[in-house]
Amino acid sequence: MPTLYITHTACLDHLTPLGHPERPDRLKAIERALEDETFMGLARDTAPMATLEAAMLAHPTDYVERIAAASPEEGLVRIDADTTISPGSLEAARRGVGAAQMAVDEVMTRKVHNAFCAVRPPGHHAERDRAMGFCLFNNAAIAAYHAKQAHGAERVAVVDVDVHHGNGTQDIFWNDPSMLYVSTHQMPLYPGTGGIDERGADDAGNIVNVPLNPGDGSMEFREAMEIVVLPAIDRFQPDLIIVSAGFDAHTRDPLANIHLVEADFAWATKKLMELADKHAGSRLVSLLEGGYDLMGLALSTAAHVRALMRV
Amino acid sequence: MAETQPLPDDIAAMPFEQALAELEAIVGRLEDGQVPLEESIRIYERGEALKRHCDALLRAAEAKVETITLGAGGEAAGTEPLDVD
Repeated sequence: MPTLYITHTACLDHLTPLGHPERPDRLKAIERALEDETFMGLARDTAPMATLEAAMLAHPTDYVERIAAASPEEGLVRIDADTTISPGSLEAARRGVGAAQMAVDEVMTRKVHNAFCAVRPPGHHAERDRAMGFCLFNNAAIAAYHAKQAHGAERVAVVDVDVHHGNGTQDIFWNDPSMLYVSTHQMPLYPGTGGIDERGADDAGNIVNVPLNPGDGSMEFREAMEIVVLPAIDRFQPDLIIVSAGFDAHTRDPLANIHLVEADFAWATKKLMELADKHAGSRLVSLLEGGYDLMGLALSTAAHVRALMRV
Repeated sequence: MAETQPLPDDIAAMPFEQALAELEAIVGRLEDGQVPLEESIRIYERGEALKRHCDALLRAAEAKVETITLGAGGEAAGTEPLDVD
């Protein structure tokens, strides 16, 4: 069974202010990297446009309506210190949700083993009712609840390797022990959350945070994965693994001080696939989050997708 | 990577108390999550520079204390330097 790659040109039309790191060129860099003949075996599809109701799997109705209503005719509307909405943003965000849902559908019905969605804006900072950190809708949390609602998944694990803590996904899963959120991230750094003492409601342990120190590299990341992240997923026995695939822990990235290289992302991908093989019938869905150095992003994404394809 | 960068001029000229106070303020802001994502790394790096400056000032102060201690020890070891005069 092939690996599925989902994207949509509408995701280029989410515009951010000049000089903003979360820019359309990120997707172009990924697209170019995946044109290499190594990726000929990749199944490719375009993201459908999700309904606004789909976003309500993870967000309250009034939040989703507020985001939709904020969409401007022209120019940029700032809704947070980092986050803006342009005329194309709502469709981009809905394509992102649509890609996540489609990836879950294809993986859960065993049409493909796994899938990678190259979409923007990213999602993991979006809390239940708060857009922040470049994010509007929390694609990973929506994908997890879609797997539960539409396909009967009982337990879904979201693994977040983005260098920033996914406060949004943590917030949405906080009271839901059927969902596991596991994250490695630099600390101290934006958004300030993600301490090891944040473990979910009533200390349930369905939230697992493994902060890394500034300056840490491959060895510390792999230790964190092997000692904490992978065992937590193994114990949880998920029906589906969702990866919040941010590549800003790459050493070239301008927004953090972690020194991973693309081989580390490939290694982590393979380890997560082993757990998907063991517990989830190989079902794994990966969603792009951050990654702001175009070369680091392209190399890391290529390594990640090659690992998903087992080539 | 931050280790090899020279200190900004304003930090290099700061007295210890002022550098420590700004460092504490930065740690507080990062922990509160009140720093925008895009600026987070710059603010962290300023904190890192402040920390290096505080470390350097502390090391310099320690070195002075050591010199005095060794001088006192040397004098205790023998009285010859005093006899020269």
